[in-house]
Amino acid sequence: MPSRRRTLLKVIILGDSGVGKTSLMNQYVNKKFSPQYKATIGADFLTKEVQSDDRLFTLQIWDTAGQERFQSLGVAFYRGADCCVLVYDVNVQKSFDNLNNWREEFLIQASPSDPENFPFVVLGNKVDVDGGNSRVVSEKKARAWCASKGNIPYFETSAKDGINVEEAFEVIAKNGLKSEEEEIYLPDTIDVGNTSQPRASGCDC
Amino acid sequence: MASDLSSQSPSSDEEEEESAGQKPKTAVNANSIDNSLDAIENQLSSISFNTPIDERTAPSDDHHHESESLSETAMNSIGESSSSRRSGLWTSNLEVEVEAEVDGGLASPSSSGYAGERGSSGSVTSGSGIDVVREVRDNGSSMGDDGAVVLDSSEAQWIRGKRHADEDDASVSWRKRKKHFFVLSHSGKPIYSRYGDEHKLAGFSATLQAIISFVENGGDRVKLVRAGKHQVVFLVKGPIYLVCISCTEEPYESLRGQLELLYGQMILILTRSVDRCFEKNPKFDMTPLLGGTDAVFSSLIHSFSLNPATFLHAYTCLPLAYATRQAAGAVLQDVADTGVVFAILMCKDKVVSLVGLQKASLHPDDMFLLANFVMSSESFRTSESFSPICLPRYNPMAFLYAYVHYLDVDTYLILLTASSQAFFHLKECRIRIETVLSKSNVLNEVQRSMSEGVLRIDHLPVDPSARSGSLFHLNQRRPSETVTGIGGPAGLLHFIYRSIYLDQYISSEFASPISGRQQQKRLYRAYQRLYASMHDKGVGPHKTQFRRDENYVLLCWVTQDFELYAAFDPLADKATAIRICNRVCQWVKDVENEIFLLGASPFSW
Repeated sequence: MPSRRRTLLKVIILGDSGVGKTSLMNQYVNKKFSPQYKATIGADFLTKEVQSDDRLFTLQIWDTAGQERFQSLGVAFYRGADCCVLVYDVNVQKSFDNLNNWREEFLIQASPSDPENFPFVVLGNKVDVDGGNSRVVSEKKARAWCASKGNIPYFETSAKDGINVEEAFEVIAKNGLKSEEEEIYLPDTIDVGNTSQPRASGCDC
Repeated sequence: MASDLSSQSPSSDEEEEESAGQKPKTAVNANSIDNSLDAIENQLSSISFNTPIDERTAPSDDHHHESESLSETAMNSIGESSSSRRSGLWTSNLEVEVEAEVDGGLASPSSSGYAGERGSSGSVTSGSGIDVVREVRDNGSSMGDDGAVVLDSSEAQWIRGKRHADEDDASVSWRKRKKHFFVLSHSGKPIYSRYGDEHKLAGFSATLQAIISFVENGGDRVKLVRAGKHQVVFLVKGPIYLVCISCTEEPYESLRGQLELLYGQMILILTRSVDRCFEKNPKFDMTPLLGGTDAVFSSLIHSFSLNPATFLHAYTCLPLAYATRQAAGAVLQDVADTGVVFAILMCKDKVVSLVGLQKASLHPDDMFLLANFVMSSESFRTSESFSPICLPRYNPMAFLYAYVHYLDVDTYLILLTASSQAFFHLKECRIRIETVLSKSNVLNEVQRSMSEGVLRIDHLPVDPSARSGSLFHLNQRRPSETVTGIGGPAGLLHFIYRSIYLDQYISSEFASPISGRQQQKRLYRAYQRLYASMHDKGVGPHKTQFRRDENYVLLCWVTQDFELYAAFDPLADKATAIRICNRVCQWVKDVENEIFLLGASPFSW
């Protein structure tokens, strides 16, 4: 048995266009921020290796496009996700209101085995803008919504200043790891008396 | 030569495959892109990805190049740290350009910016880092992580297990490899990559999944993308996706066949029960289940260019005197009657004898995959083993159990059973078999045949009246000759004869002009192309083909009973070559009970 088994976590980032999904990812992976807005088209993939509690694992981050016209890609992209990050802009009410749609859409398309307990993380981004004066969604309101959806962890972030980004992704990774289950792989053995038909009992995995 | 290779840097081994080193190219072969891609072109604006750029922090000094090259996209990534990379899908530009992106980005990552500039500056520094990593691995500390079997390198003919594990899609060396194989899950999680570290290639893997799923979403399937010299071949097997990216100019059918074998090897190790795991849980990660099998896959891929069984879908026997093979068959039959599904005695990749339960049939591909599994797993050599394995063409859903024991350095016995409790019974069987084989001198005969290489083209009977009917008298008369002769009559260099009824082939020894590995590989590739063109369903079936190029004259002859592939000196005369081929066929017929396993009951498929 390899003592240090490596794990790969697929993380999907969702949210309205312009809330800063790509910037958050860039800040996290590359420690860089660009004030210029460039729309992501379709999806963008980043990989980051993380060491946590003596375990080495890899985050495979799927940065998706926020525009509605790309949402037909959902099934293909969301399949097998280990964690989903919902992002909104604290300065744009609509992006917060849409969180519910993003969450539901994800659950429908990815159809995880245990939707109630699927690990989400919510990020309220752009807290740096205008010193917080243009903010329209209060932290209290956001936390209330997260609580109502099964206590989703919540972070207020600034991709620009790097505030809370590292911390948020740490929780993302941790929660993704939590849902990882170890199961026993036990395929059938051939029944020689009836070689063409495997026995009916399924595999126990 | 073999020992040479194992001790030095791996690049000398397969230079043909590893360093394409072509010029940057922008040409796009739009015609050859599968139709399914046309369908998605309209929508292509919807997948793309951001330009490579300055907001990526590369503290390396090759920045100015990045800004120059728009087309260095998909496979591009950051020079910065090995822990972070980015890849993406296509661009949002015009359709025409999209294909160019596939070219530059996916298949032939040699468009401006990557090969020369970025490489030269980036790789010098990373080069030294790489050596450090390799050293650590050689000391065995991190070997277990990627599951590679640690082997005594002095024994290995090539570098076993994962090679170039330090590379990823940002490495110039990685991009220059001529033939990549990837396996990934339908959620885009990497399962296997021939070169480079799977986890570091997670972004690349996601890109491949996105392409496949995107086309699938449109109700279509992507089979092949041709981009300049590169072919990207896709094979979808339920939740498992297999991709080959190659610029070796092998035919599409061959590459797809290789992906099928790669999948088969995976099934041999795990059965198709993995499908159910993915059904239950799309997040399922099967890499831990494949732990320790890197050597099996690298050996498999290695054999794609050096073992004709991989494209002939036939197996080969070790030439043996008829009585010797009969003796081996008899003792195997004895144990088969005690509940053994298949009993196989092999020497390297060649069958000595084989016996099976009635009605049970063993497909040549299964035999090839099983032999590869046994030969590439070092632990089988050191002790008797009992391991679950699945024969994909026999029953892909369930396991059999294989008792494996090496009787000498090359010769091994495989006993397959359906009972997981049968180890001690099979051990007794093996002891019985071993006793009989050594008493009847079979093992010595096997060793002799192996070392002498009996089917030599310079022994091709010249005078039909002098036919002897046995290969072995010849050798007794001329025991001192070297294995590779000077070549046969009329410039015959080599031949392969495949018997259609027996599902067996026999390959002659190589004449000296093709004694090197690279030459043999080139010849096999040529045979492979012949095979593909002779079996092309669209235009075939053909009966004969005569082809002359700068390397050889190739002659292929297909009848209901056999297929003959022969290589001659490039100056060979056509009429003479045909005459020689007739003589080869006659020769094969004369000695067929020594080169083939005849009347083997299990082959009833």
